[in-house]
Amino acid sequence: MLTKKYALKLSREYTQANFTWIISLILTSVLLLNSFNFEKGELKGSVFSIFTAYAMFTIFQMILTLMVKRDLLTIGEIRSSTRKLGYVQLFSIVTGNVFTVAFAFNLIKKQKTPEYMFAVYMLLTQVFIIAISSLNLFKSYVADTFLAAMIILLGVMIFQVVTLILTAKYVEEESAPAWMMIVAIFLLFTALTGNIFALLLGYSLILKIRSHDQSRILKWNTIWEKITRNSTAILGLFFIILMFSVSICSAFTFDYDMAVENDYGAILQKPSLAYPFGTDNFGRDLFSRIIFGARISLLVGFASTAIPVVIGGFLGALAGYYSQRTDNIIMRLLDVLYAVPGILLAIAIIAAFGANTTNLILALSVGSIPTYARTMRANVMMVSNYEFVDSARALGSSDFSIIFRQIVPNSLAPMIVKATLTIGGAVIATSSLSFLGLGVEPHIPEWGNILKIGSTYLESHSYLAIIPGLAIILLVLSFNFLGDGLRDAFDPRMD
Amino acid sequence: MGVNKEATPYFRLSDVLQYTFGKMERRPTYKYWLLILGLPVHLIVCLFYLSKRGDNTYSSIYEEVRASLTASGYKEASMLDFKEQLLRKHSFFNKKVNELEIDRQVKELAEEQFTKTLTKKTNQVADQKGIQQVTYSTYFQSLLGKPLFLLASFIPGIFMYLLILLFSNPYIKFIVERLIMSIFVIAGVAVLVFTILYLSPFDPAANILGEAATKEQIASFNQLHGLDLSYFSQLWNALIGIATFDLGASYAGNEDVAASIANKFPITLTIAVLSLLMAIVIAIPVGIISATRSNSFLDYSFMFIALIGLSIPNFWQGLLFILNFSIKLQWLPATYSPQNWLSIIMPVVVLGTALTASVARMTRSSMLEIINEDYIITAKAKGLNRLQVLWKHAIGNAMIPIITVIGLLFGGMLGGAAVTEKVFNISGIGSYIVDKQFIPDIPAIMGGVIYIAITISLVNVLIDILYAFFDPRIRSKMKQS
Repeated sequence: MLTKKYALKLSREYTQANFTWIISLILTSVLLLNSFNFEKGELKGSVFSIFTAYAMFTIFQMILTLMVKRDLLTIGEIRSSTRKLGYVQLFSIVTGNVFTVAFAFNLIKKQKTPEYMFAVYMLLTQVFIIAISSLNLFKSYVADTFLAAMIILLGVMIFQVVTLILTAKYVEEESAPAWMMIVAIFLLFTALTGNIFALLLGYSLILKIRSHDQSRILKWNTIWEKITRNSTAILGLFFIILMFSVSICSAFTFDYDMAVENDYGAILQKPSLAYPFGTDNFGRDLFSRIIFGARISLLVGFASTAIPVVIGGFLGALAGYYSQRTDNIIMRLLDVLYAVPGILLAIAIIAAFGANTTNLILALSVGSIPTYARTMRANVMMVSNYEFVDSARALGSSDFSIIFRQIVPNSLAPMIVKATLTIGGAVIATSSLSFLGLGVEPHIPEWGNILKIGSTYLESHSYLAIIPGLAIILLVLSFNFLGDGLRDAFDPRMD
Repeated sequence: MGVNKEATPYFRLSDVLQYTFGKMERRPTYKYWLLILGLPVHLIVCLFYLSKRGDNTYSSIYEEVRASLTASGYKEASMLDFKEQLLRKHSFFNKKVNELEIDRQVKELAEEQFTKTLTKKTNQVADQKGIQQVTYSTYFQSLLGKPLFLLASFIPGIFMYLLILLFSNPYIKFIVERLIMSIFVIAGVAVLVFTILYLSPFDPAANILGEAATKEQIASFNQLHGLDLSYFSQLWNALIGIATFDLGASYAGNEDVAASIANKFPITLTIAVLSLLMAIVIAIPVGIISATRSNSFLDYSFMFIALIGLSIPNFWQGLLFILNFSIKLQWLPATYSPQNWLSIIMPVVVLGTALTASVARMTRSSMLEIINEDYIITAKAKGLNRLQVLWKHAIGNAMIPIITVIGLLFGGMLGGAAVTEKVFNISGIGSYIVDKQFIPDIPAIMGGVIYIAITISLVNVLIDILYAFFDPRIRSKMKQS
C-alpha cells in the first residue's frame, strides 16, 4: 500500500490531472456566472453554450482523474486503456481550453521526452495563433497580407502536426534518428513566426543527433524534465511564447489601423464577433489594441530587464572578483541607486527627459541595476572559491578570462531566475507609468494606455478597463510561474 | 583578548583606551580620523617620539641580520631555486621560455622572499633579547596606559578619546557606522536626483510663463529660482535646502515646497504603515501554515493566490475594487476623504496586496528551510511536541530574513504609492510628485523623491540595528570584528 501511495505522489499525470480539473472547474464557473445577466435576469446564449462545452470536458477530466487514481492505486501505473482515453480529451481543443489539451497530450504518451513536450506546445501555440488571427474574418475588412499569412501559418501547422507524430514515434531519451536533421532545420525556419518552442525543438533535435556528449544531453533533459513537470511553469512559458508569437504574426494578420484609427460609426460597441472585446470611445477595436499592446509590453519588459542584467551583472562580477576596495567602491555607489525606489527613480528620470518608450526603458533599467549587481556579486564570490577557478589561474589565464569564461557562465542560473521573475515587475511598472501618463506615448496602443481610457468608462463600459488588466495580469503571472519553475529546476534550495 | 577584558570586572579606562586604540590603528580610515581629531596631542607626542627614536635598538638588530643574510648568499640561493621551479613549470605546460621574463620574475620572487625572511629573523632575534619594534602607534599606545598622560591630554584630545570610546562598544560602533553610511547614501541620492533633473532638456521657465514670455521675463524667473547659477552652486543650494528643510518655492503656484511635502507626507505614511500591518497580520500566519503543510492543497491554493497578488497591477486592482465595492455594491466610497475612515480601507488593501503576497511567499520558504534544519530534528528528538518546536525554535529564526524583506519592500511600497494615490484621488506625496513632473518643478520633485529616500533609509537603518540586537549570529560577528 505504501508503494502505491508513492505512486500517486510520483505520478506526473496524477498531479497534472488534479491541477487541470481544478483550473478547468474554475474557468467553467466563471463562464457560468457570466452567462447570466443578473440585472435583466436573462440568459446569454453564446456564453452559455461555451459554458456547456467547458462543463462537458471538465466532467470528462474529473472522470479521467479518478481513473488515473484508480489505476495507480491498483496496479501502480496507468493502464494503456486509460491513456487511450486521452485522445478523446484532445477534442477539448475546440473550446480553447489549453489546460485539458495539455493534460491529454501528457496522458497519451508514456515516455515523455523533452522533444515531445516541445512539439506539443509548439503545435498548441500555432493553433492558438491561427485561432486568434482568424477572428479577423468577422471584421468588415482584413489586412492585405492576411490571406497569405494565414496560408503560411496553416502550412506550418500541418508540418508541425507531422513533426509531433514523428517526434513521438522516433525520438528517444538519449538520441534521435539522423534523418530528422532535415525536420530540425525546417523547424528552425518556422521559428521565424515567433514560435520559440519550434526553436527549442529544433535545437534539441540537433543536439541529440549530433552530440555524442551524453552528459550534455542528460543535463539538457533533466532541466527541461523539471520545467515541463511543473504544469504552471510550462503553461507560463506557453503563454509568454504565444504572446511573443502573436506580436510577430499580428504584423501580418492584423490591421494596425483598426487599433489606432478613429471610427466614429462604432463608438463604445459591446463585445461581438466583429469586435471580440468591444470598441473604445474613439471606435477603435479593443481586441486589436490588446494584441498590438502585447509587443510593447514584451519589448519594454525584456529590454528593461536585459539592460540592467548586463550592466549590473558586469559590475557585480567585478565587485565580487576583485579586491575589497573595488568591491566597496562599486557597491557603495550602487547603494545610492538602491536607496531610491525603482518607480520613483523612473518618475524622476521621465520628469527630466520626457515620456516616451526609450526613456521609459532607460528609466526602468537604471533602477534595477543594483539588485542584479548584488545577485551577481554574491554568486561570483561563491564561485570564485571553487577549484576550477584555481586551476584556471594556475594555467595562467588572465583575470578577465577567468571572470567571463569560468565564473560568469557558472553563476548565471540565479540571474536568469531573477530576470524572469522581474520581467513581470517591469511589465507592471510599464503599464503603471503609462496609466499615470508617464510611460509610453498616449497614441500607442499599450495596455496601460488602454486601461487609462477604460478607467474613465468604469461605470458604463467596465470591460474597457477589465480586459487590458486581465491581459497584464496573465502575462505577469506567466513570467512569475515560469520564474518559479526555473528556480525549482536550477536549484530547489535557491531563493 | 577582548574576552579577557570583559571577564575582569575592574578594568580601567586607560586599558580600554589602549586596547581599542590598538584595534583602530589597524584600519586606515580610523587611523586618519584619530590623527585628525587628536591633532594637538599627536603633534606634541610626535616631537617626543622623534627625539626618542635615536636610541632604537630594533633597527640596529635589523641592520645586523640584513648584513649576515647578505653575506651568507641567501638571496642568490633562493634565486637559483626559483629559477629551477619556473623552468620546470614551463616545460610541464610546454610553454616557450622567455629568458628575460623569467629573470624578472625570479628577481621579484627572490626579493619578496628575502624581505620576508629578514623580518622574520629580526623579530626572532628581537624577541630573544626582549625588545619590541617601536613605531609611532605602539609608542602612543604605551603612553595611553599612563594615567598622567591621559589627564594632561584629556582636554586637547577630547574628540579623539570620544571616538575611541565610541569604538570600544561594538553596538554603538555599529550604529554610528551605519548612520554615517546612510548619511553618505542620502547625500548621494540628493546629488543623483539633482543631476538627473539638472540635465533635463526641458525649460521650466518657458513651460510656466508660456511661449509668449519675453527674454527678460524668462531671465528674471531663472534668477528668482537660482536657475542661472552654475551646476555646483545650484547643487550646493539644493543640498543645504534639503538639510535645513527649506527648498524654496515651487515654480508653479509659488507654494513652499517643504511645507507642502510636510502636509502630504502623513497620509502616505499612514496608508503605507496600515498596509504593512495588514501584510504582517495576514501573510505571516499564511506563510507558516503553508510551510507546515507544504505541498498540500491548502499550501498550493495559498501560494497560487499569493502569486496572483504579486501579479496584479495596483491601479487595476484599485479600479476593480471601485467598480465592485463603490459602484455596484456601494459599500465603500470610491475616493479618499480624511473625515471618512471607511474610505481608507480600499487604498490600504490595494497598496498592501503585493507586500502581503511577497511576505507570505518569503515566510513559507524561510520556514521550510528552517524546519528541515538539524536542530529542529534535535528538538523533536528531545520529545518536544510540534507546537513547541514551531513556536520556540522555528519561528524566531525564520523571522530574521523576513524582517529584511519587509524593510526593503516597505521602501518599494512608498515609491509605488503614487499609482494607488492617483486611483483613489489621495493627495499624498506620490501624487504630488506625479503632478509636478509635467512642468518639471525641480524643487518639488527633488524634495519629494529625496525625503522618501531618507525615510526608507532610516527604516532600513532601524531594521539593521534591530537585527544587531536580535540575531545572535550578527551579534557574535560584531564582537569578533
